[in-house]
Amino acid sequence: MLWRYFALSACVCLAACTGKISQSGGGNPGGPPAVDPILAVESGVRRLSQAELDNTLSDLLGEDTAPASRLLNEDEFRPFDNDYTIQQASDALITSLEALAEEVAERAVGDAARRSALVPCTPTSPGDAGCFREFLNGFLPRALRRAVTAEDVESYMPLLDFATEDNAVVNNDFYTAVKLAVSATLQDPEFLYRVERGSPGSTPGLLELDGYEIASRMSYLLWATMPDDALFAAAASGTLNTAEGRRAEAARLLEDPRARTQLHRFHAMWLGYRSIPHTAELVDAFNRETSALIDRVILEEPGSYLRLFTMGETFVDDALADHYGLPRPTDGEGWVSYEGTGRAGILGHGSLLAAFSKFEDTSPTQRGILVRTRFMCEEVPRPPPDIDTDQPPQGAMDAVCKYDRYAEHRDQSSSCAGCHSLVDPIGFGLENFDVAGRYREHDDGLPECIIEGTGEIVGVGDFSSPAELSQLLVDNQYVDACAVQQFLTYAWGRPPSVYEEELLAEMTGSLRDGAHDFKAFMLGFLGSDRFARRVEERF
Amino acid sequence: MALKINRRAVLRGIAGATVALPWLECMVPTRAAAQTIPRRYAILFAGQALGGDNYAKNSSRVDGQNITEGGHYIADTSYGRGYALTTPLMPLQGMENDFSMISNLAIPFNQSSTDGSAVPSAGAYRDFHGGGSSPLLSGTRSTSPSYVCNGITSDQVIADLNDGQTTHKSLVVRAQPSFYVSGYSFAGRQYISYGAGGGSGARIEAQASPEVAYRSLFQGFVPDDDDAAARFDFELRSRRSVLDLVLEKRAKLMSNIGRADEQRLERHFDEIRDLETRISALPPITSGVCFVPPDPGADPPIGGDHDGGGSGSVTPGSGYSDEHARSRIFADLIHMAFVCDLTRSASLQITAFQSHMNVRPIADGLGTLPGTTRPARWASVGGDLHEVGHNGDPNNRGQIPSAGLLGWHISHYAYLIDKLRNTPEGGGNALDNSVVVFTAEAGHGLQLNDGSSQNQTHSVENMVMLVAGRAGGLNPGAHVDGGRQHPARVLVRAMQAAGYTGNSLGEVNGTVDF
Repeated sequence: MLWRYFALSACVCLAACTGKISQSGGGNPGGPPAVDPILAVESGVRRLSQAELDNTLSDLLGEDTAPASRLLNEDEFRPFDNDYTIQQASDALITSLEALAEEVAERAVGDAARRSALVPCTPTSPGDAGCFREFLNGFLPRALRRAVTAEDVESYMPLLDFATEDNAVVNNDFYTAVKLAVSATLQDPEFLYRVERGSPGSTPGLLELDGYEIASRMSYLLWATMPDDALFAAAASGTLNTAEGRRAEAARLLEDPRARTQLHRFHAMWLGYRSIPHTAELVDAFNRETSALIDRVILEEPGSYLRLFTMGETFVDDALADHYGLPRPTDGEGWVSYEGTGRAGILGHGSLLAAFSKFEDTSPTQRGILVRTRFMCEEVPRPPPDIDTDQPPQGAMDAVCKYDRYAEHRDQSSSCAGCHSLVDPIGFGLENFDVAGRYREHDDGLPECIIEGTGEIVGVGDFSSPAELSQLLVDNQYVDACAVQQFLTYAWGRPPSVYEEELLAEMTGSLRDGAHDFKAFMLGFLGSDRFARRVEERF
Repeated sequence: MALKINRRAVLRGIAGATVALPWLECMVPTRAAAQTIPRRYAILFAGQALGGDNYAKNSSRVDGQNITEGGHYIADTSYGRGYALTTPLMPLQGMENDFSMISNLAIPFNQSSTDGSAVPSAGAYRDFHGGGSSPLLSGTRSTSPSYVCNGITSDQVIADLNDGQTTHKSLVVRAQPSFYVSGYSFAGRQYISYGAGGGSGARIEAQASPEVAYRSLFQGFVPDDDDAAARFDFELRSRRSVLDLVLEKRAKLMSNIGRADEQRLERHFDEIRDLETRISALPPITSGVCFVPPDPGADPPIGGDHDGGGSGSVTPGSGYSDEHARSRIFADLIHMAFVCDLTRSASLQITAFQSHMNVRPIADGLGTLPGTTRPARWASVGGDLHEVGHNGDPNNRGQIPSAGLLGWHISHYAYLIDKLRNTPEGGGNALDNSVVVFTAEAGHGLQLNDGSSQNQTHSVENMVMLVAGRAGGLNPGAHVDGGRQHPARVLVRAMQAAGYTGNSLGEVNGTVDF
């Protein structure tokens, strides 16, 4: 039994914890943007995340070994993996990218099926320029995600020299040049980054994106990968420059399994359960449960997204039902009722209840922080510097039960209470659910420590279960506003700035006006004029 | 396959042309003869403290038994030459005269204020872990809890000094590839090298893939065999053509984009240009000891996450990516990069700041405690590295578990030193012309955060640095009392031994003599 759950020793004065909504950390400092964010928001060049790069290589070249995850340094999660404001090119990155490009190109031409998908013609000689151009005309627009010019294509032609070189020791042929062209393209910043330009619009500083730029925005947001042929075609035809065209394509993209995967990843990063510490089997079962709920409330059953938090049933197989102590589903896997369990929605899931755990047990403080920061989008300040959060509270070491060990956090005469009162009472309201999402009556291994299970969001209301907490968050309009903020953070690849507060409010309003239909909200977002526009970052 | 560098190999591909043999034969020996043996500098970093919380230097708990026993804390020994090696130093047995230990070092902090503006010169912001990094590695004060060095780090001072002399300005590598704590990521804990001026924009991303690092260093070598050399030449020319093709797009891509975007892409293109320059450079001067080391093959798989807690949650398979093998490979690469004069500056972050690496696989490999009859007492050390220092394992705490894991870090240091000293060079060996520093993230003493608790890991007191090598006239072999001087003063002395003519690092002036 470990006693170091919580973070305090001697608490001293600290600034009041106001729980102010976080709006810091936009794309750039230095005053208001050039254009009202209601019309268009700032965007900057974004490098593909590891996940996006691996997905793109899969779609572009059939590369399914996830080389980016292996050869590139891991992305920072803040909480999303795509924050371009902290991306920085480095020697390590460039060297890894070259290794990746050569490895992937080698495999792309080494496999007969993949090679023929890549090169539609049969070369008549190693130096068949016509066939090489045909390959480039097919490959480059997909790789660079734009229409290419003859000049673009011609720039690759010198690589044919490597195909035709008379060299006794090298097995060079037509595909040598193909391989080099693929390698060059994979190292091209236009492939690795999403570079948006746009052309001047009606308002000074406002830039209208072209169809291809819009297509990439749509596919990377909804699929985390490059556009498919149909989306490229829509880009070329000008369809994506209209709201109706974008809505139609977005609706189509949402029908694809890749959209589901993307929604699952978005929620896992946002709500902190992307890499929970349980066995692979249990993690898999939790993921299937949570994914089923996300799919149902967004894609499969039109209606309110708020059901993500309030759903009265959950998707389990026999093993997971047994794990939770829920009735088994009919047919081995399916939806079972939460009735009488105190659970509701995603907060009843093992995935969420495992997130932000510590020391093999739940941490009321960490769970409170999870709710404040991820469900309410508030900022919880760091503990003051002279509190060592890795150290146990000396005074509380004698206490056996967890609730008693947190006494100092509640002591109004101590400075700890200022902040901990904002988070700990939330966590204590979830204490009946352990780190694997199972119900419990008492602290792990301590029958004398009966868990009361009552909690409070200070200033909002009391609750005594995940179901009641969820209802409190829904009724007080926290989760919908927060979902919008998180979605935009992910879509923009950066945190919103203070200047975008009004836009967030407007978009939250649109979600509410649409009866919280999240699919409709996403279609509205992608269809909106501002989705097809940008403003350059201040510098 | 250990290809020897063949000076006679036909080298083509310089500026795309075929270069004939006579040119090479006249150029290479000239360059080799004109060259004195370079001095090199490496720093190895361990993301742990020197001891365990609340345990005095002679106090531990092992397998549930409290033990009072000296000799486990790294600097719990006499000063001068001939001091007794402590437990963490055991991997350096037989190398006593190749390194010095400088202990009792301390970073200043403000006892009466935790305000960022109140941090003294070269001091630590009162919040461990982040507050300690900048003064330790750059001699520059930290003013926030962020993991960021506010000045250039010692390895990069030496890199700047040798800029243009070697193919690689510096070799910056990291053995721990992932942060391992569920829901979190490194957030700055993965940087120990910073360029001029410091700050987040100057951080130098370490290469965390041994496979890529190997390739980056040793693809420039020309194979011995004529056919292989000709194939190599073909590959080299094609690599250059590919990079040239990308670089030719620079101007077009840069036209008509915003300044912020331009700056990001400029940096990317600059790095590609540097890569192109490196692979176009002449292959290194050959000698009997400079050769292409065996290909390490694909990297060990990256381990999964755990909850960052105590012993039970850190299960086999989580939190470990075979950092042992990765560290050994990186040490091999640093050794050969030095011997072949591919670079003269290296940093190896064995484990990240506040490392949550699973220590079970390492503890299992430590064997019996050196110098005692107690068998396999390491094997029971559980949890992650950070938690071992913070008493996360209820039965194994204090100096002995920490010493074992510190000793594991030092084993990689010893491995590198041993390789250097066994490499003939000039009239002596490669260690005679090298300086290799080892530092841990923290000391063991007064807690930085509360400024009052004793025997704490979150401490910038009682810090220790090891400095190996004889470059610049260093005469290693002693345990030196640092007398509470700033650890960066050890770095200044080490940098001077590697050719630095200044007398400061960041806000720290002067040296500790050793």
